[in-house]
Amino acid sequence: MKFTFGKLMLGIAVVLTTLGLLRYKPWKKNSGVTARDVIHEGVNKKATRELTVGYLPVTCHLTCPVTDFASKTTQTNTNFNSRVFSDFPTVVSALEAKQVQATFMIVPLAMKLREQGVPVKICYLGHRDGSEVIVGKNSRIRSLKDLKGKKMAIPSLYSNQNFVIHKMMDDFGMQPNDIEFIILPPPDMPTSLAAGAIDAYFVGEPFCAKAELDGYGKVLYYARDIWPNFISCALVVHEDLIKQNPDVVQDLVRGIAASGAWAETHRVEAAKLVSPYFRQDEKVLNYVLTSDPKRVSYVQLTPTDEDLQQIEYQGIKLKLLSKKIPMYELIDRKFVPNEIIPAPIDEASIPNILPAGKK
Amino acid sequence: MSDKKTVSLALSNVSHSYGTTSVLQTLNLQVKNGEVVVLVGPSGCGKTTILNLLSGHLQPSTGRVQRTGNIRTVYQHDGLFPWLTVEENIAMGLRSVSDTAQREKEKQDLVELIHLRGFENHYPHQLSGGMRQRVELARALAGQSDILLMDEPFSALDYQTRLRMRLELVRILEQRPRTVVFVTHDIEEAAQLADRVLVLSSRPATVCRELEILTPRPRDLTGSTVIETMKTILMELGLQH
Amino acid sequence: MINSKHTSSSQKKLQILLPVLVLAGVILLWIIITYTNLFPAYALPTPGAVLKSFKEEFESGRLMNDIIASLWRVAVGFVLSATLGIPAGLWLGQHLYARQACVPMLNFFRFLSPLAWIPFAILWFHIGDKPAVFLIFMATFFPLALATMSAVATIPSIYFKVAKDYNYKGIELLTKVTFPSILPQIITALRVSYGIAWVVIVAAEMVGCQDGLGYGIWDARNGLRLDSAVCYMIVIGVLGMGIDRLLAQLTKLPNVRWGYER
Repeated sequence: MKFTFGKLMLGIAVVLTTLGLLRYKPWKKNSGVTARDVIHEGVNKKATRELTVGYLPVTCHLTCPVTDFASKTTQTNTNFNSRVFSDFPTVVSALEAKQVQATFMIVPLAMKLREQGVPVKICYLGHRDGSEVIVGKNSRIRSLKDLKGKKMAIPSLYSNQNFVIHKMMDDFGMQPNDIEFIILPPPDMPTSLAAGAIDAYFVGEPFCAKAELDGYGKVLYYARDIWPNFISCALVVHEDLIKQNPDVVQDLVRGIAASGAWAETHRVEAAKLVSPYFRQDEKVLNYVLTSDPKRVSYVQLTPTDEDLQQIEYQGIKLKLLSKKIPMYELIDRKFVPNEIIPAPIDEASIPNILPAGKK
Repeated sequence: MSDKKTVSLALSNVSHSYGTTSVLQTLNLQVKNGEVVVLVGPSGCGKTTILNLLSGHLQPSTGRVQRTGNIRTVYQHDGLFPWLTVEENIAMGLRSVSDTAQREKEKQDLVELIHLRGFENHYPHQLSGGMRQRVELARALAGQSDILLMDEPFSALDYQTRLRMRLELVRILEQRPRTVVFVTHDIEEAAQLADRVLVLSSRPATVCRELEILTPRPRDLTGSTVIETMKTILMELGLQH
Repeated sequence: MINSKHTSSSQKKLQILLPVLVLAGVILLWIIITYTNLFPAYALPTPGAVLKSFKEEFESGRLMNDIIASLWRVAVGFVLSATLGIPAGLWLGQHLYARQACVPMLNFFRFLSPLAWIPFAILWFHIGDKPAVFLIFMATFFPLALATMSAVATIPSIYFKVAKDYNYKGIELLTKVTFPSILPQIITALRVSYGIAWVVIVAAEMVGCQDGLGYGIWDARNGLRLDSAVCYMIVIGVLGMGIDRLLAQLTKLPNVRWGYER
């Protein structure tokens, strides 16, 4: 075979077309959804509308995939596709580009977005509690005071964990620079603790349970002990969607609330349902959800002015937020249903997934 | 092929210089139709410059170059396109032949002429130096060519191959006569091939001796004509007394 | 003659056998390390777990989807930078002043790691295929343009003299003389910049993407699944090597062979 310009062009065209076809699968109707998005196919044929909702694989966002599952297997009007993200900057970018119009997000970050002029509203909460301060299993740290001069990892400056720990240091009469804070991606925290690179970390589940299960970490504080009814994440919706499609948002909030109510009482099943969405070991999730009811709760998820004002106040005090946003601008409670009925998920419809590849 | 009568090649009062270095000084050169003119001279005397002027790759600083007919150059080495096969390189010379069948026939004839049947699909880097020069010659002879400029075409070859190539060139020119301007520093070559030898002085080059050789080719290397001619050239170059 | 043929065939066998032995050795070492618990299980997954996760990822269709996503992004970015970079290089190679004017700028961008563009890639192209394609483009355009340029600038002038003798002009001169004479160097440049592209895609997909091999690693990490991350690493390495072998086949084509045998 000889190398000619024509053959080269032909070769390139063939490769590009093949890859393009494989990538976008034009013969499939639902071409925007990739294999990563579809975890379960369901029987619900009633749904006429669709909405993609963003989430991260943390238990705080657990109701998102549950709602996805419920919308596929039960009779709902809207089909919800949950779309997994791996970090918050990407979520923000997707929200700004309106690639997703509803997503779960850490609360202070939503406030920051609002401050920067991205019209988002908090419509519901993810869960209560669900975060812990973890220290090494054999460490001598007994209280926050023992962490003086030590290193502690937090997930983001705009995380409520950061806000809360500073509030607590205040309460203990400590100076802000008494503890050296390090921002780490949550998945790195357990391993960093094991390797001795940090002395403690404060983050959402299941990254706390991981350290406990692997046998090198223990809980120093539960979030609820520091800050009752601790809030980490909220359901954030773009105002455009609220204006254009209030019915869908109504469905969404009702669905999330119903999923929360279901998860609260079906914890084992919830762990099983969510593990393939999160691509996490069911055992870890199961542990988070069932070991101690103090860890997480999925009730009482209507955002109150008081809750968020407290967070905002702390954010301004830390100079991470710069202006006070009135609560009516930030919160939209009109979609929260008066009566929350647990989602009618049939436990038998949750497929059995191979236990993840850990011993 | 164009009418042989119209072929002419001449330099009149041509001078050329690169920057301040004068290479040629008022040079006059007339090449007759069908004649083989060999230019001999010390290296660096401007022989290649003369060829570049004749072919039009260079414009003279002063003076006039007259040229009618199609000119092709055979280079010392690497003149073949390495990405083309023997056949394709030869076909380059036949680009103006529009009839496919005729082109094909001509190509076959040329391959036959240079005795490279069986090597049509070889690439230059797979051939020996002598074979490559034969291909280059065939390419230059193909199609519409009237004048061949040969720039030390055999100087990169070993001695025996060089001797053989001279005989080849004589044979090929017999079959396809061309007007040839041949540049070399090899006086044997000059004595064996030329109808007329021009001995050039060192830079700036001027013609210091013109020798006509009437003995028909092929000429025996040890024959008296060649020996005599060589003697004359050597004396002219100051290498023999 | 016979003797030398014999050695060449046994040499060939050795050529295959030795790498296989090294590979087997590395795997064995891995098995030994994991089973003697030299590292804790959370720090180094066992080969068994990796194999299992490979099966899992493959059966769920995720792995295939990620492979296609990455290949698509690399292909589009690469073709884009080749279609712009090679002509740019051709033009620069033929114009001395343009070359002198642009080379410092091109070099500046070449030494700027494409990953430095990540914030802008996401800002300008949001998430999805586009930022990754953009990063691949930024990673490969400059080396390709520069390599083409220096290849053109060093084409022996004799080729152009010959081309003039045989009446090659304009576009024909470009496609029949200039382009084939630099083709061997272009193929080499393509191989080198493909290598860069493949390294960059993995890093690029860790942000601003929802699928792809790099995202697979990131996602596995988020899911605390190092076994799956290792499985993706293996796929990335094998694919990268395989495609390079494929590109290497281009150098075996007869009309570019000359460029590698001198």
